[in-house]
Amino acid sequence: MIETKNLSKIYNPGKFEVKAVNNISALFKEGEFTSVVGPSGSGKTTFLNCVGGLDQPTSGEVIISGENITKLSGSKIINYRLNNIGFVFQAYNLIPVLSAKENIEMIMLLQGVDENNRISRTNELLNQVGLYEMRNRRPSQLSGGQQQRVAVARALASKPKFILADEPTANLDSKSTSNLLDIMSQLNEAENITFIFSTHDQRVIDRARRVVTLEDGKIVNDNKK
Amino acid sequence: MILKIAWRNIYRNKKRSLITITSIFAALFLIILMRALQFGFYDKLIETVVESYAGYVEVHADGFWDNQNLDNSMEVDQSLINDIKSIEGVDNIVQRLQTFSLISMGNKTKGGVINGVNISDEQKITDWNKKMISGTFKIKKNEIIIGKGIAEYFDIKENDTLILYGQGYRGMMAAGKYPVKGVIDLKNPNLNKLGVFMNIETARNYVSSDEISTHIIVDKKQYYDEEKIANDLTQVLSKDYEIMTWKETLPEIEQTITADSAGGVIMAFILYIIVVFGMFGTVLMMTEERKYEFGVLISIGMSRIRLFGIILIETIILSMIGVFIAILITYPITYYYNLNPIDMATLMGEGANDMIEEMGFSPLMPMSIEWDIPLTHALVIFIFSLLISIYPAIKISKLNPVKSMKL
Repeated sequence: MIETKNLSKIYNPGKFEVKAVNNISALFKEGEFTSVVGPSGSGKTTFLNCVGGLDQPTSGEVIISGENITKLSGSKIINYRLNNIGFVFQAYNLIPVLSAKENIEMIMLLQGVDENNRISRTNELLNQVGLYEMRNRRPSQLSGGQQQRVAVARALASKPKFILADEPTANLDSKSTSNLLDIMSQLNEAENITFIFSTHDQRVIDRARRVVTLEDGKIVNDNKK
Repeated sequence: MILKIAWRNIYRNKKRSLITITSIFAALFLIILMRALQFGFYDKLIETVVESYAGYVEVHADGFWDNQNLDNSMEVDQSLINDIKSIEGVDNIVQRLQTFSLISMGNKTKGGVINGVNISDEQKITDWNKKMISGTFKIKKNEIIIGKGIAEYFDIKENDTLILYGQGYRGMMAAGKYPVKGVIDLKNPNLNKLGVFMNIETARNYVSSDEISTHIIVDKKQYYDEEKIANDLTQVLSKDYEIMTWKETLPEIEQTITADSAGGVIMAFILYIIVVFGMFGTVLMMTEERKYEFGVLISIGMSRIRLFGIILIETIILSMIGVFIAILITYPITYYYNLNPIDMATLMGEGANDMIEEMGFSPLMPMSIEWDIPLTHALVIFIFSLLISIYPAIKISKLNPVKSMKL
């Protein structure tokens, strides 16, 4: 369960301050498939960054499974992210010098997983996202959709409780988007992994079971289907 | 995996990596060859000067060096010789009796240095027998060999007789007539102008003493350190003796080497500056270009220390490839020129040979093949790599993943 309490992120405090996230309190239960939507500049990405521990909020708390991650700093927060949260980015953000297989395996290597388990988990994930045959290709040799599927597999590699996806379909065509959403829905249903997306994409919004709408850093609508 | 990422990152930007490696290689190539030539020259200089007259280590009676007269000479017995020979690294030892004297022929007179030597033992240490330009080195009792400069001064022919006149032992007068049986070219103008050589018994007879010597010349085995031998001798011999290395007896050689070496160090430093800026430029670009990637890696859970490790390994690999190639290419070159020294006389043209020898140097300049030359400079490059890596380390430690991914 992810809970935010009075979460705020203010840029340039005191001068030309911008309240990117303005006092948001929200609860995301395990197994939810949530879209955070809103116009550009509404604070979707900043909210996700604060929830994922990538950005330090100006005030408020983010509590994940009872642990206040806003109090973690330095290597502790990096380690927390590694073991508990999976990230999927708009620009895929795969490591260009590593193959699809190695990009996935790297996460488990950082976790200290032994080689046999690493290999079997990597193969399992590659099969899940339908890219086993392309496992040795580098990101530059994959299409955008394929890269994003590798990114999803990488996000799942650490067996996280949550996956935070920032505009994951923004650079994908319809077919790739549909394919990616199918994989994510399947994982959500089969493994009860919580997905939180920030998105503009109506196709993602249509598939979400909960839609949280942000405007000027505040939740203006929270719609559960 | 970290090593794999580092290696592939080097390979990712081939041109930049190649330029960096080439700059390290080029600088190190020049540094190694320059230092190999310098150290080869120093070795040759030491060999020429030290082995042609002085020894690596000399033993005298205490106080002799500051007041070089026969009253400060010593009597050498077998136990003293045994003590010296017991020191590790000592190869051969010879005794000499050296004294100043006037040399006269006809109506010409000049000063000189009488060297009483053991003819057969001396050949184990010096190469005087190879430096004879006329006559023989194997002289008998009451015969002498003179330096080229003395021969020219007196216009001496073989079997001409010289009169030696000087101070003997304990106030005795030293005088005698000696036929010249050979002329030697010691490749050193001063030694050539002063040196008179005779059998040590003849010399003792000349100064009216049967027992004394002024010098014990100690030759070392190859690769042994003369400083250590001198230190060991200090432990073994009594305070009645003074022990000096060639650096003390021939300080001008040490000074020449130090001064010349300083020039080499300055040159190497200039080349290092070029290398360091080249490497720093690469690391700077590498860090700035990959801020986004660093942000991603930190976001997905890579610790900053591991990330720094990648950059450090990349920098070290880049520099060590340059170092390795430089060593690989310079070693055969230095090895070849060690066996086939560069003949400066040939390079400088006619008359250069005499000019160089007049200066007391050998015209042959071998390159040193001592491993400490490339290894020292490889170590310097390695240390610079570590120092250069401080920049990305600082950048990574301060990196905000969100900001860096907004680039």
